[in-house]
Amino acid sequence: MLESGIIIRALMRNKIGALLIALQIALTMTIMVNAIFMIQDRQQQMQRESGIDEKNTFYLTNTVFAQDYNIQVEMQADLNLIRKMPGVVDAIQINAIPLSGGGWSMALQHEPGDDKDTVSSALYMVDDHGINTLGVELIAGVNFTPNDIQWRASGQSTWPDKTIITKAFAKSLYPDDWQSALGKTFYISQNQPMQIVGVMKNLQAPWNGWSGVERSMLVPFQMESQGSKYLIRTEAGRRDELMPIIEKALAERIKGRLIRRVTTIEDTRKKSYRQHNATNKILTTVVSTLTLITGFGIVGLALFSINRRTKQIGTRRALGATKWQIMRYFMVENFIISTFGVIFGCIGAIALNMWLATTFNLTPINIELIIIGAITLFIVGQLAVLYPARKASLISPATATRTI
Amino acid sequence: MLIMKDISKIFQTGDIQTHALRDFNLTVNEGDFISVTGPSGSGKTTFLNIAGLLETYTHGEFLLDGEDVGKLNDNGRSRMRNEKIGFIFQGFNLIPDLNLFDNVDVPLRYRGFNAKQRKLRIEENLERVGLASRMKHLPSQLSGGQQQRVAIARALATSPRFLLADEPTGNLDSEMANGVMSLLEEINQQGTTIVMVTHDALLAERATRTIQVKDGRVSELEILAQQAIA
Amino acid sequence: MFSYYLKIAWISILRHWGLSLLMICAIGLGIGAAMTTVTVNYLMSANPIPHKSEQLYYVQLDSWDVNDPFDEGKNPPDQMTYTDATNLWKAKKAFRQSVNAQTYAVIEPNDPDLLPIIADGRANTADFFAMFDVPFIYGGGWTEQADINKELVVVINKETNDKVFGGKDSVGETLKIDGDMFKVVGVINTWEPKPRFYDVTTGAFNKSADIFVPFSLIAEEKVRRSGNTNCWKPSGDGLAAFLAGECVWTQLWVELKTEQDKQEYLTFLNAYVEEQKQYGRFLRPLDNRLSNVMQWLENQEVVADDAKMMMAMSFMFLVVCLLNTVGLLLAKFLGKAPEIGLRQALGASKTTLFSQYMIESACIGLAGGILGLILAYLGLKGVESLYGDTMQGLATLDVSMTALAIILSLVSTILAGLYPTWRACNIQPAQQLKSQ
Repeated sequence: MLESGIIIRALMRNKIGALLIALQIALTMTIMVNAIFMIQDRQQQMQRESGIDEKNTFYLTNTVFAQDYNIQVEMQADLNLIRKMPGVVDAIQINAIPLSGGGWSMALQHEPGDDKDTVSSALYMVDDHGINTLGVELIAGVNFTPNDIQWRASGQSTWPDKTIITKAFAKSLYPDDWQSALGKTFYISQNQPMQIVGVMKNLQAPWNGWSGVERSMLVPFQMESQGSKYLIRTEAGRRDELMPIIEKALAERIKGRLIRRVTTIEDTRKKSYRQHNATNKILTTVVSTLTLITGFGIVGLALFSINRRTKQIGTRRALGATKWQIMRYFMVENFIISTFGVIFGCIGAIALNMWLATTFNLTPINIELIIIGAITLFIVGQLAVLYPARKASLISPATATRTI
Repeated sequence: MLIMKDISKIFQTGDIQTHALRDFNLTVNEGDFISVTGPSGSGKTTFLNIAGLLETYTHGEFLLDGEDVGKLNDNGRSRMRNEKIGFIFQGFNLIPDLNLFDNVDVPLRYRGFNAKQRKLRIEENLERVGLASRMKHLPSQLSGGQQQRVAIARALATSPRFLLADEPTGNLDSEMANGVMSLLEEINQQGTTIVMVTHDALLAERATRTIQVKDGRVSELEILAQQAIA
Repeated sequence: MFSYYLKIAWISILRHWGLSLLMICAIGLGIGAAMTTVTVNYLMSANPIPHKSEQLYYVQLDSWDVNDPFDEGKNPPDQMTYTDATNLWKAKKAFRQSVNAQTYAVIEPNDPDLLPIIADGRANTADFFAMFDVPFIYGGGWTEQADINKELVVVINKETNDKVFGGKDSVGETLKIDGDMFKVVGVINTWEPKPRFYDVTTGAFNKSADIFVPFSLIAEEKVRRSGNTNCWKPSGDGLAAFLAGECVWTQLWVELKTEQDKQEYLTFLNAYVEEQKQYGRFLRPLDNRLSNVMQWLENQEVVADDAKMMMAMSFMFLVVCLLNTVGLLLAKFLGKAPEIGLRQALGASKTTLFSQYMIESACIGLAGGILGLILAYLGLKGVESLYGDTMQGLATLDVSMTALAIILSLVSTILAGLYPTWRACNIQPAQQLKSQ
């Protein structure tokens, strides 16, 4: 463009003004790109599937306080009651709930001994209804049989000899061929053998921030414990209707225990990712206000510079410049400033990402985001300068002949 | 009152030196009404800026009311402008955001008068230029001639001994210009020394003394001629 | 003169209200964002017990697996085994010492009309209350004798007292906890230290306990343990085997009056570990630590990464807002060049002009600061509603934060105004006064 030389020379005479806008654009881009990157990262985490039928599942806690209470008998009676209710798909007693943040982890090792390498995993204690209640998909091997289920006394240190693990866990044990894990015997608690009888497609651990969140195992245990949780899966759409009914039925069936914290898995997910969600909302707000501020800053400065140049613009018009040429002048000017801003912005974005990566263990940024950020800021700049440029183009050529 | 001895002003633009004033000599006496004429680019504006302490000079000696201007620092010059000099400009130079009262108030504030004194002076001087009734108006609500009257009121408000006027009627039609000139004459008769730059020969003649600036020098002949008349 | 500058600034701000509004909004948003995140960080890193945080120490012993060190050997385990905690407690080498762990219990109110309630509890030894200055309304803590004799005594909080006893002085009453009758010895007032420094392992910003019972009752199976348990070595079956095992789940705090006491206690700890080595325990190199309250909170990274990251982001945001302000002020002041030239001609010195334009900047800064405070208040409300319980009490503006907001906005706007003002003061009057 012919006039870009003229524009650059004019900018050089007002270096500071142009530099301030360029710096704003650069910083905005730095923040924007990194914030969007973090938002995406969190969103990806939030979109991971837990593996269970989240929509139709809920759980409650059962806390026994009476002294003369037969835990084994009453628990079986509770489960029988729930499983027979119309609308209920299945129910189990379980030690921990996926996504809830609290649970149990154990490690498996290829060979027995106290100095061998281990791979840790979340551990869920379920009976033969576990697969059905959780709604997980068994992709290899078999489910537990009723005969596999053992009672676990509080504080017991021995483990059953069968387990069903997730595919991700199998992959950690056999990085080359996860299928070879099936049927193999591993060791839990350093030296107790445990055979993998089945592999599930996926089931997340209760801790969403854990790097091994996809590694879980089911063991055929029912707990003889005063505090336990019941996980209940209903037919599609009947969860909310059944929650109070089941709570009431259990509470009325026997005294001496408390039924509490009747919670849906959907709520558990919400609570589990609450911080992620909150951070994302805050970051979104920051990025949008920041963009607005930068945009308005450009508008303000452009209006001012046009006010100061009213006479000059009038003279140009008098000398034959068209409205479009006047507008174009300001738009090209903004484009040139934005280019400098975006170049610094790229450097800034990468630098901030590097700092965040080392300080907060974030992964490096991808290049598409930087390009998207750059394009966004060019667009913001052009949109912001549109109104002032239009205003400039409306300055009457007669202004040139006025004295003041 | 004002003594300039061999004043030079050199502007340096790259390698080129421009002599705006060279060996400029002038003495202004108390009560003079001097008009300064000269062609465009002759150095009359530079003279006025130096006389008004708005610009510094390169060489020479300049005494204003007995004080050596060359020895003053920036603050000293500000104080002197405020106390001894009143300015009137071709473009009026009123502050558009402030009403007439506040415009006249500006130099009084810098002088440090108290509220009562300021009010008295503002009213007195606006009265003098016939605009007391429009004190709360903004400059944009006045005609050019009225604006220049406000500027004169502002220049007089601090009771300066010395009034500098730069083409005071340049932006006015002849009738308004005549009014402003009469006002200046009246002020001069009351004892204020006036130096007025103009290119209007008719107006220049109404001064008690006329000097011509050419190529940055006072045209000697002209001075002699004037002195002969006096 | 000051009032004159204020008046001129006021006129100037009003006359260019669009521009002024833009600057005030920019500063307000910047300050609002910065103050929101600063407040969250400040409250997260607050000292929960300022008057004695330097005398309270958290004790860590490295009893972990020699083959697979805890935290890759960077830190000793964050809790202690039952064996070590009780041994150190019995040794009584510190001015005060308290072993504690998290518990939960079902309370059956004496009034049959009231439903049983589940209470979060803490099992601790007698010194706990005195060490942490727990405020009592009625009664007090129990004696060391009660710990030793495993007495069924309980201290309850105000909320529980209101629920179960209708808020009356319940000292001496009995309370059925997990089927046993406990004697109430004290009722504490609302006590919610933020962070909950005495136990950060289960959430540094969680609620404090509802009831407090003697630690020795855990071994008697009178109360149920909850909280985190971490083991590196399998223990045998049953509670006795578990207690004797290498699982860490207890926390030991000691109160040491002087630096010398601290050194002596550390020497004692080292000697204790050396002695335990004879029984085949503590195979890792000696790494015993005493951390005072603030060191411990720091070590446990109580301030969330998210909070720190957002603070960094919000300060960059503030910088953008200030650059914006610098640009707008510059445009505004340079737009006033003719006025500045005139003022100089009328006798304004550079100092005078400097003060005038700085005051104008400061006025905008002050307005921005006030707007920023309002936005910070709203921002904190937003943060609170977004984060829920974990942010309860962490999202309030106190006096020092309010003052900081105002100071921050003034200082930053004055900084932002510095360059434009300097430029304005250096305008050459002669050039501005020529007719255009």
